[in-house]
Amino acid sequence: MASASNLTKLRYRFIPDHVIGEILSKKWIDNAIPFLVLVCVVLVFGSLIPNFYSSSNLSITARQFGEFGLVGIAMMVVIVVGGIDLSVGSNFALGNFMMLALLNLGGWPVELAAPVVVLICGSVGLLNGFLIGYMRLRAFLTTLVTLIIVRAVVDMLLLQYAQAMSVSFYESPAWDLMGLGGFFGIPFSFVMLVIVAVIGHILLTRSRPGWRLMAIGGSRRSAHNIGLPVRRTVCAAYTISGMLCGLSGVLYAARLSGAGTDTGMGLEIAALTAAVLGGNSLGGGRGSIVKALIGALIVLLLTNGVLRLGLNSGSGPMVLGLTLIFAVFVDVKWLKNRDKLLSKVYVSPTIIELPKPVSTDPRDNTAFAINDRLNDVEIIGLGEVESPEDVILDEDDHLYCGTRHGDIVRFLAPDYQQSEVFAHIGGSPLGMSWDRERNLLVCVGGMGLYKIAPDRTVTKVTDETNRSTFSVVDDSRLRLADDLDIAPDGRVFFSEATVRYEMHDWPVDALESRGNGRIICYDPKTGKTHTAVRNLIFPNGICTSQDGQSILFAESWACRISRYYFDGPKAGRVEPVLDRLPGYPDNINRASDGTYWAAIMGMRSPALDVALRMPAFRKRMARRIAPDQWLYPNLNVGCVIRFNDKGEVLESLWDQHSANHPMITSMREHKGYLYLGGITNNRIGRIRLPGRDTSWSGYRNYWGQSS
Amino acid sequence: MIGALRDWADRFVGRGTAAVTVPPLDGALKPNNRLDEAPRGIQADQPDDIIVANGTIFYSAASRLFQVDENGIGVVAFEATGTITALAVSPAGLIAIASEPGGISFVDGGVATVGQQAWTCVTAMAFANDRTLLVCIGSTRNTIGDWQRDLLNAGKSGEIWTLDISTGAAERLARDLAFPNGIVVEADGNIVISESWRKHLMRLSPAGKRVGQVMEDLPGYPARISRNSRGGYWLSLFAPRSQLIEFVLREPGYRKAMMAEVAPEFWIAPALRSGASFNEPMQGGALKQMGILKPWAPTRSYGLVVELTPDFEPVRSFHSRAGGRRHGIMAAVENGNHLWLASKGGNEVVAIELTHPGGLR
Repeated sequence: MASASNLTKLRYRFIPDHVIGEILSKKWIDNAIPFLVLVCVVLVFGSLIPNFYSSSNLSITARQFGEFGLVGIAMMVVIVVGGIDLSVGSNFALGNFMMLALLNLGGWPVELAAPVVVLICGSVGLLNGFLIGYMRLRAFLTTLVTLIIVRAVVDMLLLQYAQAMSVSFYESPAWDLMGLGGFFGIPFSFVMLVIVAVIGHILLTRSRPGWRLMAIGGSRRSAHNIGLPVRRTVCAAYTISGMLCGLSGVLYAARLSGAGTDTGMGLEIAALTAAVLGGNSLGGGRGSIVKALIGALIVLLLTNGVLRLGLNSGSGPMVLGLTLIFAVFVDVKWLKNRDKLLSKVYVSPTIIELPKPVSTDPRDNTAFAINDRLNDVEIIGLGEVESPEDVILDEDDHLYCGTRHGDIVRFLAPDYQQSEVFAHIGGSPLGMSWDRERNLLVCVGGMGLYKIAPDRTVTKVTDETNRSTFSVVDDSRLRLADDLDIAPDGRVFFSEATVRYEMHDWPVDALESRGNGRIICYDPKTGKTHTAVRNLIFPNGICTSQDGQSILFAESWACRISRYYFDGPKAGRVEPVLDRLPGYPDNINRASDGTYWAAIMGMRSPALDVALRMPAFRKRMARRIAPDQWLYPNLNVGCVIRFNDKGEVLESLWDQHSANHPMITSMREHKGYLYLGGITNNRIGRIRLPGRDTSWSGYRNYWGQSS
Repeated sequence: MIGALRDWADRFVGRGTAAVTVPPLDGALKPNNRLDEAPRGIQADQPDDIIVANGTIFYSAASRLFQVDENGIGVVAFEATGTITALAVSPAGLIAIASEPGGISFVDGGVATVGQQAWTCVTAMAFANDRTLLVCIGSTRNTIGDWQRDLLNAGKSGEIWTLDISTGAAERLARDLAFPNGIVVEADGNIVISESWRKHLMRLSPAGKRVGQVMEDLPGYPARISRNSRGGYWLSLFAPRSQLIEFVLREPGYRKAMMAEVAPEFWIAPALRSGASFNEPMQGGALKQMGILKPWAPTRSYGLVVELTPDFEPVRSFHSRAGGRRHGIMAAVENGNHLWLASKGGNEVVAIELTHPGGLR
């Protein structure tokens, strides 16, 4: 089998495997299973019950959902903070009774009575909150007590006033609107629920109090230790819960205008089931409005459905109980295995068929023929720097490199014996370039594009670009800015090697060999950043071509170098320059004679080339064996090549045994010398280039003599 | 049916036979650098087997048999018609030589008697007594140079023969073995062989009946076994097992494509030496950091020799770890207070001074 079948190619082209891992890494995936259950419930009851989808039934259901959803949210709020509220049913009954009493007996207007009732129920919640938050009583026992006491109070009040209430009848347009009407056919209670849900969602996910609620639920002790107001927040959660019950009671009163001893009976169980079924963790710290609503809707449809099917009494609670145990089971399993599943499926290789590499055998007489021209590399700063991915020199011949500690280290000319930390950025500084004003622009892995002024002040240039339209994960933030170069008009073009892996995992991207990378343009005139080219296979080195109209860029895992025109007649086009490379190209820089240097950071191994054609093999490998044991590109041996605009390779410089200077990710020609950097090295190399212009420097070549 | 289903489920989730676990090097097999620390030995061209005859060390390299003289230099004692693949010495001091091509020859005081049998892929030999020679045939399908192909094809065509050296009568004792690569006769006459591809040592009765495993799930591919002066044995393991190779062995599609398209020295397969060419497959942990290859990095080649008790319990081991020189130990033999090793991967015959048995070093 010399090449993969067309079917396989199509399959990998059109089925985006990597999306599974990205979806699994999203928080909202927790809702997937509850949502699926909801869909099942709707389908089952929709087929069993006649008129299930009729507008009248939907309207009634929506009205009930408006009430029950509020109770569901009330339960969710306290569960998220790590508690439980069993008094929601009694509180709901209290709200219902108070509303009717205030209207019928007190003759209050609806506009006044409703807020007062919400406050009364809120005060029950406050009592819960005070006892649980400040007095540190157990949530379960405390709310059980309030459940009983409030229920008793409601019963006593009913005994006293039920008679009086039943003879009077309250009527007002506002009351009718609440109980019977709505807006544009949408029931009032449902509109209420939507408003509460939207506000609640924003509060919970995008505001400080909401985050604190989550943090306290996640770990009460840690939250206390970092100084969050645990007691106050817990108390507030119960108060809000009480108020929401009150609101729900008001809406119930408006719909049915009746108070009985069975009002709100068993509501706490239904609400608890709803909360857990929706995926809100009983342990706290994990929950959302959407989860609460999905859970509430499932429970409502189940109970109503069982009722309408006319099953035996007792079958309703039975269905509810079984659903609850199922929900708890799934919740525990999901929580335990989600991360395991994610780590197994995240690496998602795709098919890539590399063309046959150019021979490196000296007998074949290619420009890549192995030689020993790098054997005599001089070593600079051995043991003083770690991970100098790129090196650059200024007009005074000082040598700069980044380190994995986030420093830019400067070696002082002429002998480079002394070094100093020129500036500290953080992250992993990678590619570097001078701009016209002698600022040093640096791509920092994990951070973005940074600028170091001659006075050593560090400023962020950009760390985000426009988000791709159809991306699952937000890819606007720069994860792995790799190398940059600057166009004559000052625009900065830089590569982001991959959007799927962090700095320390970059070789794993080779296992995928998908177009995960992009080239991004930052325009200093507008201060805007936008993505210029997408879906590149580990774009790495960038170099503005000698004509100033295009950039050359290396795609490492595709073993090719291409050209992107940003100006001129071909603006926006990408053209191939050089392919069939025997290794993985890294940084590209200009040479003194109008050609270009490119670093080959590692060599292709035939066994890996075969594996690249077999994505399923690589996928199984990523699942089965430890990352340390994965088949990698061979990044221990590399070389330097020189090529021209036509894509002809002119020469190569090798160190076969890599004893002196192990790997090469970048090289920079400066005044007759070639300086070498390598990302896994603890040294910088330099070698004299015989017969080359000893006055040529990169800065002058780009920006001229004066500036 | 249930078995097939279980196999399928195992393959899907990677457990059971599809699990790619490799036993760790711990206990008596704890890694050290004793092999690389040993003084410079004798340079040889892929030394393969090593024996002691009459107190003198003989080793084979390519097509020659060398004798180590009193100055520690290898002197040619015999030249075979082909590559020498195994040596054995009889209690009386007769040396048997297997070569490919050429069959089995005998050297007695410098005089060679050419044997009758034209076996190929002879991997190891041992004398049961002065007249009877036991011969391991690694594979009847592949030549000895193609041992990696035999492994990747899950070869189990190995055989054990017995040869009466006076009459030339040969008899097959056992068949369907997964590359028998070492043989030793126990004091009670039972035979112990190493089956490389099954990574275990197995005991056969003198008639060739399988008695049972004596060592199983070894961390490397076992090669030759020799007796030591304490009644125990020295076991050489010529290459390490690795998760990647175990995984590739379970991937028929990839394995076929790789064997068809890639040169054997660049296969994902155990090797006698590694790191010479950038075309060799590299694993994640073998990425050099700060110019250093971690000694615990995943590697295709390793040097390992283990001392076993008479009950085949490991007591001590000598290692050459990832990035070391003395890889691919094919044979080890004890002579006086020295252990002599043939490092086929390192092109060297090495002598290690042994401290008192039971001592830690």
